[in-house]
Amino acid sequence: MALQPKPYKRPGFWARLASGNPSEAQLGYLLLVPAFTVLALVMLYPILNVVWKSLHYEKLNNPARGTPFIGLENFHDMAWGEGLRWSVTHLLVWRLLLLGGVAALWATVRRRARGQAVGWTVLLLAVWALLGIHPGAEGEWNDPRFWNAFGVSLLIIVVSVLGSFVVGLPLALVADIKTRWRWLVRVALLLPWAMPPVLIGLMFAWLFQDQYGVVNDLLRRVGVEGPIWLARVVPAIVAVNYTLIWKTSSFVGLVLLAGLQSIDRGLYEAAEVDGASVAQRFWQITLPLLRPAIAVALIFRTLTAIQTFDVPFAMTRGGPGRALETLGIYVYNTTLTLDIGYAAALSVALFLLSLAITVFYLRWIYTE
Amino acid sequence: MNRLFRYAALLLVVVNGLFPAVWLLLTSFKTSGELRQLPITYWPENFTFGNYVSVFTENPFGRFLLNSAVVSVVATLLCVLFAAFAGYALGRLNLPGRRVILTLIVTTSMFPALVLLVPLYRLFVGVEIPWLSEVFNSPIFTPNLLNTYWALIIPYVALSLPIATLILTSFFQLIPQDLESAALVDGCTRVSALFRIVAPVSAPGIVTAAIIVFVNSWNEFLLALTFNTTLQMRTVPVGITLYQGEYAFPWAIISSAIMLGVLPLVVLIIFFQRRIISGLTAGGVKG
Repeated sequence: MALQPKPYKRPGFWARLASGNPSEAQLGYLLLVPAFTVLALVMLYPILNVVWKSLHYEKLNNPARGTPFIGLENFHDMAWGEGLRWSVTHLLVWRLLLLGGVAALWATVRRRARGQAVGWTVLLLAVWALLGIHPGAEGEWNDPRFWNAFGVSLLIIVVSVLGSFVVGLPLALVADIKTRWRWLVRVALLLPWAMPPVLIGLMFAWLFQDQYGVVNDLLRRVGVEGPIWLARVVPAIVAVNYTLIWKTSSFVGLVLLAGLQSIDRGLYEAAEVDGASVAQRFWQITLPLLRPAIAVALIFRTLTAIQTFDVPFAMTRGGPGRALETLGIYVYNTTLTLDIGYAAALSVALFLLSLAITVFYLRWIYTE
Repeated sequence: MNRLFRYAALLLVVVNGLFPAVWLLLTSFKTSGELRQLPITYWPENFTFGNYVSVFTENPFGRFLLNSAVVSVVATLLCVLFAAFAGYALGRLNLPGRRVILTLIVTTSMFPALVLLVPLYRLFVGVEIPWLSEVFNSPIFTPNLLNTYWALIIPYVALSLPIATLILTSFFQLIPQDLESAALVDGCTRVSALFRIVAPVSAPGIVTAAIIVFVNSWNEFLLALTFNTTLQMRTVPVGITLYQGEYAFPWAIISSAIMLGVLPLVVLIIFFQRRIISGLTAGGVKG
């Protein structure tokens, strides 16, 4: 009986790994294990968990009732109300603006993109219809505090994101100037980004202090008596948004600066030769080529604006009263009362809001 | 004219960025009596360092600094280590599906950190592990991590991991592939090539990622406020909010505390400004 040669056997997955010379893919997946473990444990698990908890009753200070499954009751308590009705005139101005947006969409949309415009129109009309729901004269929201926080968050998102771009773009343009003071400009741009937001809130609370603050002192010098900034609703909104814009415009400025520096200088020289003015160069070259950087900054800014917590918390604790309580502050306050189930439902609302905005932006980027 | 306009713009940006901090610095040297004077003074009339002493006597500020330092440094080390592993795998190895994996990791950074508050709080209080309870026939709970360093280190590592991975992935992609190929031809294994060739070259990228993670961890407020509630376990940003009473705002002391709390960050941004900017915009350039 002749000896059969032993057939060559490729070393198995684990043998290869143990030999100390793993294949590229093996090594790669192995190196990804720690990162994935952390993200799964601290990001994925909590998000699944919070959705699960939002469907349950759980108060840590009432363990006797346990944690029964209650379906959508938390959400019903949060977003619904008694005696709700629908009327055309509720929030009339905002809904007219929305309809104006639909009209503007159809006026500007190109022939080829009509199909997408239909989708947006349906979405906008759905929002228009939803905005008509309100409690009648006898009815009331189950949780008016939630709708207040929702409105405050939306206001902060719109004002502070737009504001950070209005301020951030000039910041980037100035930081792009070549001078030997550039390092100082960079420090001035980096400081608002690097400082802890809660300390920025405290700092501006001192600047906006009604008697001994700088803002009111400067106003007094030009003959205006400044308001008690943080104790009145409208001035507090102004002060908090100003602070948020001061902090976040530096981040926007830095991202836009990177965008500016990636633009080919030759384009400007060519345009100058062709006799384009400074304004023309800005609108025709800078702004269009800056679009990717603008998109990235816009996404990150909006997603952080949804979670706004530190600055208004440090400045007014969500006050005066609850006038400036953002969704973030409301989630925190609810967690403090140990009502885990309801806090989870609020978190899910916040998560859905940021998910919707992410999807909106991603669609917008991909269609560009 | 053009020149004048430029300098005016530069001055405006510098004043806008630095004035609040300078004002705070001046405040920190004033006596509390001088703060309650009208009209307010801009330059301190008589300099005092008393506020900086009060910062340490009124609250255990040294302990706050220590807590912040331990949490931020450990979180930075772990986060950069894991991110360097992941970045190397995604940036240099021929890995099937690496674009999808990178997108997945970056997407997790879009989840609101706020959503982690409730589930992590519940987890750190201690939850029962059902299968272990069954094995031992008595309820087994996860350890109560509230008021420990781990309650902050674990989430900080996770929160900064996506951005650190993104920075290091794009950095590793820039290192020429030939450098490593040469080592492989000379008989290095993949693992030893990683430690002998790639690691030394990638020091600048690692420093960039480390600074960003450190600043993120040093500044975090919400989780630190909620998870570590004993005075001895407070971090700097949370600790500074403790100086204000119900109605009293000792602004001179608060200003001094803020100055001490941001000092490490100011040092970082003065010495590493280029690195920080390149790190911050890595996400922006790569999309």
